[in-house]
Amino acid sequence: MDLLQASAVSKRYGGIAALSGAEFHAAAGEVHALLGENGAGKSTFIQILAGAVRPDEGMINFDGAPFRAANPSAAQAAGISAVFQELSLIPDLTVEQNIWFRHEWRSPLRMIRRKALREKTLELFARYAFPAIAPDQEVRRLTLADRQVVEIAKALARDPKVLILDEATSSLAPRETEWLLGLATRFAGEGRLVIYISHRLQEVRQVAKRVTVFRNGQTVAAHDTASVSDDEIITEMLGRRMERLYPERRDTATAKLALKVRGLSAGSRLRDVDFDLREGEVLGVGGLQGHGQRELFQALFGIGKSRGSIELWGREMTARGPRQALTGRDGIALVPEDRRGQGLLLSKSVRENLTLAVIPRFSSGGILSARREKALVAEMMTFLRIKAKTPDQVAGTLSGGNQQKVVFGKMLLTEARVLLLFDPTRGVDVGTKGEIFTLMRDLAAKGYAILFYSSDQPELVHVADRVAVMQNGRMAAILEGAGISEDGILRAAMIEKH
Amino acid sequence: MTLFLARHRAILLAYLGMIVLLALTSFFSPGFLAGSHLRTLTVLAAFIGIVALGQTFVIIGGGIDLSLPWVLNCAAILMTLIAKGQDGPLLWVIPLLLVAGAFIGAINGIGIAVFGVPPIIMTLAVNVILQGGILVYTGGTPPATAPQLVQFLAVGRIGPIPVVAVIWLILAVAASFLLSKTAFGRQLYAVGTSAAVAEFSGVPIVRTSVLAYTLSGFTAALAGMLLTGYSAQAYLGMGDPYLFTSIAAVAIGGASILGGSGHYIGTIAGAFVLTILTGLLPALNLSNGALLIVYGVVILVTVSLASEAFSDLAAALRAVLRGGRATAGKEPS
Repeated sequence: MDLLQASAVSKRYGGIAALSGAEFHAAAGEVHALLGENGAGKSTFIQILAGAVRPDEGMINFDGAPFRAANPSAAQAAGISAVFQELSLIPDLTVEQNIWFRHEWRSPLRMIRRKALREKTLELFARYAFPAIAPDQEVRRLTLADRQVVEIAKALARDPKVLILDEATSSLAPRETEWLLGLATRFAGEGRLVIYISHRLQEVRQVAKRVTVFRNGQTVAAHDTASVSDDEIITEMLGRRMERLYPERRDTATAKLALKVRGLSAGSRLRDVDFDLREGEVLGVGGLQGHGQRELFQALFGIGKSRGSIELWGREMTARGPRQALTGRDGIALVPEDRRGQGLLLSKSVRENLTLAVIPRFSSGGILSARREKALVAEMMTFLRIKAKTPDQVAGTLSGGNQQKVVFGKMLLTEARVLLLFDPTRGVDVGTKGEIFTLMRDLAAKGYAILFYSSDQPELVHVADRVAVMQNGRMAAILEGAGISEDGILRAAMIEKH
Repeated sequence: MTLFLARHRAILLAYLGMIVLLALTSFFSPGFLAGSHLRTLTVLAAFIGIVALGQTFVIIGGGIDLSLPWVLNCAAILMTLIAKGQDGPLLWVIPLLLVAGAFIGAINGIGIAVFGVPPIIMTLAVNVILQGGILVYTGGTPPATAPQLVQFLAVGRIGPIPVVAVIWLILAVAASFLLSKTAFGRQLYAVGTSAAVAEFSGVPIVRTSVLAYTLSGFTAALAGMLLTGYSAQAYLGMGDPYLFTSIAAVAIGGASILGGSGHYIGTIAGAFVLTILTGLLPALNLSNGALLIVYGVVILVTVSLASEAFSDLAAALRAVLRGGRATAGKEPS
C-alpha cells in the first residue's frame, strides 16, 4: 500500500495547463525523486500536496484516506511539510522563533516560553545532526545556505510523515549537501517519505530509490533509480535525446587582457584580490559559499563601494557603478544572482525587460522608437530561443529557464564583451543549462571574456578554462588544465593558507 | 488603442465606473447631463486632474508626494501678493512660480533619491515647512484678489469650451506622451516596479525620481494659480482637499499605489469619478459631516475596487460562489 497516491491530477491557470492527468505513487520508507524540466508541472504538483494550490481534477490518497488540503496549515496538520526554493523565514525573528513559528509553547500569560523553545530546538538539531547554527541568532544575519538549513528545520519541526525538498540543495555548500542527503535517507528510514526535487542527477542517484519523471504536466515514467541511466532520464525529461550537457572545450583565449584586477577590496568580505581575465576566456570562480564571490562580482559591476584597480581592455575604470559599467562594447555586464529581485521586472513584458539596459539604442532625443525596439527584441528572442507567446508576455509567467534567458538577453543587448555570470544556471532546467553553456563557449569564441561563478562544482570543472578559488575574500588558488577537478577546487577552498 | 485598453484593464474599469456614476447622477438629479453642467464638471475635474498629473508620475515611480497642498497654496498666495490684482506682472510671475514649484519638487526628489529620506517623511516635512513659511510671510493677513487674466484662464471659455479644459487637454497629451513614448517614461515604470532591478540594469534612478517630483511641484503650482482664478482669490488651506483627491484619482485610475503601473489616461477618469461623486452626494440631502463620511467611504471602496488585491479577493469569492470544489468540473478556457 502506497503512502501517497495521486491519480489524474490536473490544474489549469487560465488557458495554460500546468498539470494534465499527472500520476504519482510513493511508498513509506523511500526517498522518491521527482524530476522534470522547468514548466513540467513539478512545482504545481508539490504546491498541491503542500496545500498552497487546489487541483481542478484528480484524486489524491494519503495514508489510506482522501487528501484535500485547503491551505498549507491543513497540509502540515495532515503530515505533509514542504521546503520550497523561496524561503519563508521572517528575517527579524531568531532561528528558533522561526522554526517554531505559530507553534510556540506559551505560558498562561501568552508569553513564549524561551526555555522550552530552546530545548526543543536543540533536541531537533541533535536528532538530525544539524550543522552548527546558534538558535538565538536573528535570521537576517545568516547566510543564504544557513537560512536554507533553518527552513529545513522548520519543516521537520512539524514532525511530518512526508517531507518535500524542492531544490533544497541549490544554495547549499558541498558539506551541507552531504548532510541533507544523509538526513533524507535517515528520515525515510524511519518509515516516512521524502519527495526530492533537484536538477542535479548526481544527488538524485545518491539518495533516491525511486524516480518519477514529469513532462508537460504529465507523468512520463517511474522507475527504480538503479535501473535507468542518466541519459535515459534526461531523454525522458526532454522528450528527445540531448547530445551532451557540457559543450566541447575549445581554447579560444588570446593573449589580450580583457580585465585586469589588482588589489580589489570591498568591506571585510573581499580582500586584496588580483586576477587577469583574457579575451576569449571563461574564468570560473569557485570556493565555498560566502567567501567573497558575491562581493567580487558586485564590486566589478560597481554595486557598493570598493577600492583597488580595475582595468577594462587596458583602460582604468575610474567611476564605478552599473551605469559606468554598462557602456557598450567596452563595458562590463552582470547576470546577477537573484533573478527575481535583481534581474527581472516580473510584472513587465519580455520586451521591456530585454531592452531596459539599452534604451538609448532605440531612442533619439529621449523619444522611443517602437520599430527599432521591436527589431532588437526580435533579434535577441531568436538568438536565445526565448520561448514566449509574444514579446509582450509578462516575464514573471515564463519558466525559470526562459526568465534567465531574458536576463542574459538584456545583458547581451548592451554588447558589453566582459560578462560576469553569477550562478547563471541556478533553478534552470537541464535543457536550458546546456544551452547556456554552449552560449558561453560561443561567446568566448567571438572574443567575449567571461567570469563565471557556480554553486554547482561540476559546472566549473566542465565549462571553465581556469578556475579561481576564493577563500575568506581572497584568491586562494587559480587552477589550470589538469589541475581543475572537484577535488582540487574543494582542497583549495578548505585548506588554510599561511 | 484597443491593445492599450486590453493591457490596462484597470483603466477601462475606471472609465466604466465613470459612465455608471454619470448615469446614476442623472437619474437622481435630472438635468445633470445638460451642457452647462457637464462644463462645470469638466472644470472641477480639471483642477483635480492637473494636481494629480504630477502625483501620477511620482506614484508610478514608486513614491508619493504629500507636499502638494502647500506647494499649490504657496503658488496661489504668492501670485496674488506679487501681482496685486494686476495682469501685467503675471507675464513673469506665472513662469517664476512654476519654476519655483518645480524647484520645490526637485528638492523633494533629491532628498528622497540622493539622501534616502523616505518619500512620506520628506514630502510631509516640505509641506509643513511651506505652510509655516507662508504663514510667517503673510502674517495671516488675507491676500489680495486674483488678477483678471487668471480668472479668464480658470473660468473663461473659447466658444463652448472652458479654457482650463484646453489647458488640461494639452497637459494630458504631454503626460501620456512622456509616459508611453519617452525613455524617461520607460525608466520611471522600471524604477517604480523594482529599484534594484533598475539599478542592476543601469537605469539612472536619481535623475528619473527627481524628474518625477519636479513635475509634481510644477503641476501643483500651476493648479494653485488656476484655482485662485476660479475662486477669484487665494486663501490659506485651499490646497488641503487636493492631497487626498490627487492620490485617490491616481488609484481609481488603476495605478498600483506601490508603483510601477498605471497611466495618466486612467487618472483622468479618476478625476472625473471624484468630481461626479461630489456632485452626486449632495442629492442625498445629508449634513456636511455625514457627507464627508460618505465621501471618504465611497473613495475607499472605489480605490479598493480598482486595486489588484481586490481582484484577487473577487476571484476567490467567485470561486466560492461557484461551489468552490476543486472537482466542480472543467472550466471553459
